[in-house]
Amino acid sequence: MHTNALTLLMMQLIVIIGVSRLIGRGTRWLGQPLVIAEVVAGIVLGPSLLGWLAPDLMNALFPTDSLPVLKMLSQVGLVLFMFLIGLELDPKLLKGRGHASVAISHTSIVVPFALGAVAAALWLYKDFSDPSVPFSSFVLFMGVAMSITAFPVLARILTERGLLQSRIGAIAITCAAVDDVTAWCLLAFVVSIVRASNLAQAGLTTAFAVGYIAFMLLAVRPFLARLGARVASREGLTQNVVAGTLLLLLASAWATELIGIHALFGAFLFGAVIPKEGGLAEALSEKLEDVAVVLLLPIFFAFSGLRTQIGLLNTPEAWLACGAIILLACLGKFGGSAVAARLTGMRWREAGAIGILMNTRGLMELIVLNLGLDLGVISPTLFTMMVLMALVTTFMTTPLLQLFYPTEELARDRLEVEPPAAPGSTPYTVLMCVSHQQAGPGMASLAKALSGGEGAQLHALHLVHPERVSLRTESESRALEHETEGEGALAPLLGRAKSLGLAVRPLSFVSTEPAQDICRTAEAKHADLVLLGWHKPLFSQTVLGGTVHEVMQAASGTVAVLVDRGLSDIKRVLVPFIGSRHDRAALKLARRLMRQSGAEITVLHVTSSESNGARAQVDELFPAAEGSGVRLKVVQHASPEEAALEEARNGGHDLVVVGVGAPWGLEDRVFGLQRERIVRDAPGSLLVVHESEPVVEAAVESQAAAPAVASRS
Amino acid sequence: MHLGATLRLLRVDAGLSLRDMARRIGVSSAYLSRVEHGVDAPPTAERLTAIARELDVPPALLMDVANRMSPYVSEYLEDVPGAGTLFLELARRRLSGTQLARVRDFLDAEFPVRGGLSDAAVPALAPLLTPERVVLQLSCGGWEDVLDVVAGRLAATLPGWDAARLAERLRQRDEESSCAVGGEVAVPHVFLQGAAPVAALVTLAKGLHVDTPDGRPLRLVVAAVDGERGRVRLTRMAHVARLAARGLSERLIEARQPGQVLAVLEELEALR
Repeated sequence: MHTNALTLLMMQLIVIIGVSRLIGRGTRWLGQPLVIAEVVAGIVLGPSLLGWLAPDLMNALFPTDSLPVLKMLSQVGLVLFMFLIGLELDPKLLKGRGHASVAISHTSIVVPFALGAVAAALWLYKDFSDPSVPFSSFVLFMGVAMSITAFPVLARILTERGLLQSRIGAIAITCAAVDDVTAWCLLAFVVSIVRASNLAQAGLTTAFAVGYIAFMLLAVRPFLARLGARVASREGLTQNVVAGTLLLLLASAWATELIGIHALFGAFLFGAVIPKEGGLAEALSEKLEDVAVVLLLPIFFAFSGLRTQIGLLNTPEAWLACGAIILLACLGKFGGSAVAARLTGMRWREAGAIGILMNTRGLMELIVLNLGLDLGVISPTLFTMMVLMALVTTFMTTPLLQLFYPTEELARDRLEVEPPAAPGSTPYTVLMCVSHQQAGPGMASLAKALSGGEGAQLHALHLVHPERVSLRTESESRALEHETEGEGALAPLLGRAKSLGLAVRPLSFVSTEPAQDICRTAEAKHADLVLLGWHKPLFSQTVLGGTVHEVMQAASGTVAVLVDRGLSDIKRVLVPFIGSRHDRAALKLARRLMRQSGAEITVLHVTSSESNGARAQVDELFPAAEGSGVRLKVVQHASPEEAALEEARNGGHDLVVVGVGAPWGLEDRVFGLQRERIVRDAPGSLLVVHESEPVVEAAVESQAAAPAVASRS
Repeated sequence: MHLGATLRLLRVDAGLSLRDMARRIGVSSAYLSRVEHGVDAPPTAERLTAIARELDVPPALLMDVANRMSPYVSEYLEDVPGAGTLFLELARRRLSGTQLARVRDFLDAEFPVRGGLSDAAVPALAPLLTPERVVLQLSCGGWEDVLDVVAGRLAATLPGWDAARLAERLRQRDEESSCAVGGEVAVPHVFLQGAAPVAALVTLAKGLHVDTPDGRPLRLVVAAVDGERGRVRLTRMAHVARLAARGLSERLIEARQPGQVLAVLEELEALR
């Protein structure tokens, strides 16, 4: 039997990987990430368990003189791993972040950093540190060590639970990415301070580091982008490209080590600047991941485990201190991010989930701790405590998440469509339904007056009767003609809209049941108002028959029919008013006309007896403050229809807005035998308004909408 | 060309990540990604079969989407050259879908299949459509409008769903990964727990220029709602993609009546 360094190393690798996979089976069963298993495996193989139970075996397996080899291997593994972490970090995550992520990510660094630093300054430095360690380095290091979040573990947990697409997942992963970058920068700074013998040298190191980052971003990144583009095109990832990338990676790690910050930063930075589009990053991580994660990373964990000596915590005080550190760490990270999340307007449940996720420290913490131990900033005792802290915070993530944010809740969160935005923020939406060309221009003018031209969504709908389509198909140039026809009916409307500077979205299709299609489209578009055109029908004289009647019956909101007699500029508006819900809807529209385009409103209140009910209603809809453009005229007349017509004839109004209703001779019936005199005889254009039966919710909504409209105009 | 888009669509619906799928069929995720984006050549028949097995859809369906002759057929033709002559006979008579279905009925009666190949259980699209849910010659400003229109039609048959919410769900699914499968066809769809499967079909008067895998403008939209995850749903989507690959759009774009659309579909689907 030849026993030499190589056989020993192979034996070590077999034991390390084997034990961590074995424990991995157990942790998987507990629903824990593999990291836990690997860390635990390291601790089990180290002095904490194996060295305690069978010190001879441990010494035979991991003799002290073999440790440097293990250390070097684990460092190589770490360099590769940090490169992978950098690869996974998509700069898109850092850009264009929402308000919430900014607040949460900042809080989740600042709070734990402050807590860690304060605890270190007031308590830990005294009890657990060596006077030879500079105070500032120790305090800074503890601050950083407390504020780490494990981006990779987080990403894995989110993927496993299918949370990556949810809002929480998106926020958490963004925050983790930001935290990661910030923490590594801080750490690089701390390392440079620790390593430097004096302030001037520290400043020099920092300057070099900043210069190096600038070099990577400005010089190396564009080069890599070109390389990425070549790989994305058919060439693929050849071995030459892989070799070149690895060379650059090693060079980057070498450079940062030389500068005096750690080799890890160079690897991470290089991974981060590799372009994430086009598959280069994906292909690289595909190639390297298994070697780095399965083969080399466990060595690192085992190595940290070998250095973790739980035996050092031999007094109740030490265990208490360990508990206090864990508590402090959770308080800072979980508390900080959860409260920040809550303040940005999330529910407690979601905020809690974010806090729990951000509290995961995983292996990133171990990397930081090992660095600290190597540098001599922290003592083995403190190292052990912090390792336990990292283990506990990682271990509790999954069960706590399950508790706080169970799968049912998750399902609800994902099913929940974006909550309907507050009425104030949805644009005023008008669906204009055109059946004949001539109705178009008037509608466009009305829409302009109603919306003020800005911030409104205007849709123009034209439904083609199937028979007219079939006729058209007979012709030869049908495709061409069809285009002109489809647009044709809408062309005058679009033309007028264009000259008024309105953005109107056209929509047109074949329909056998136009009324239903109008209502469905209105529903899908969240239309506040459905505007119908009217043209003189062949047989009946009524406005409110046929399709219009069906739409009014089926629609869930306000429907208005425009009888257009050359409507272009709306300056003077007449609203005959008695008090029905249709009248009120008419008043509302008139108010909109006044607000948005300064039209002058005349409210004609027709009473049969002495009563002042209308005054109150008008006042309610037109508060005194803006009453300047409104005139209220009260007349007593036996026939409201006559009174309205008389006023319309004499007043010189551009538009009469009138609610549907028997008093005005406008009855909503399928077969209107009665002639609608007001439609026929009114000299100007007419807008007939129908409001659907109020549902309870709808009433609440419209009340809520009223102040919102006020605040916008 | 648009096989990749279909594979991606089915994979996303099956809830598999790119990496998962690649691992399961034993290729690299980079390769699978290139296939899905149509950069790499369509996979071999063996790989397609592996993919189909993972998705739990009949392999023959995916072969058809790839416009590739099924290996069963080519092997059989090599073994029994006489069968080729029979195919020629069929071709000379220009048998239609319904007539072929009759031929198959005869075959089933005369030579029943032992063991029963499960390929026959491809669900058809036509039964999910009604004339009310066929919208013809839509002309509109954008993809959003199309989704709003189909949502309006679909919501009418789904108790408890209004058009706006449904449109939102369709939009979300489409944002997750594009529903355009090429051949001028897009298949927006959504899964609603427990809903009865239902579909709507829209033909567009003008090609809509959205991002499609083969760069052809969109002319046909088949939207579907399904209440069950799993085999039937995916098989149906694959079937629609196959119809798209066989030129469904060209066949339907001329239709002027919903009835015509349904007739064409029934003819095309007579032999699935």
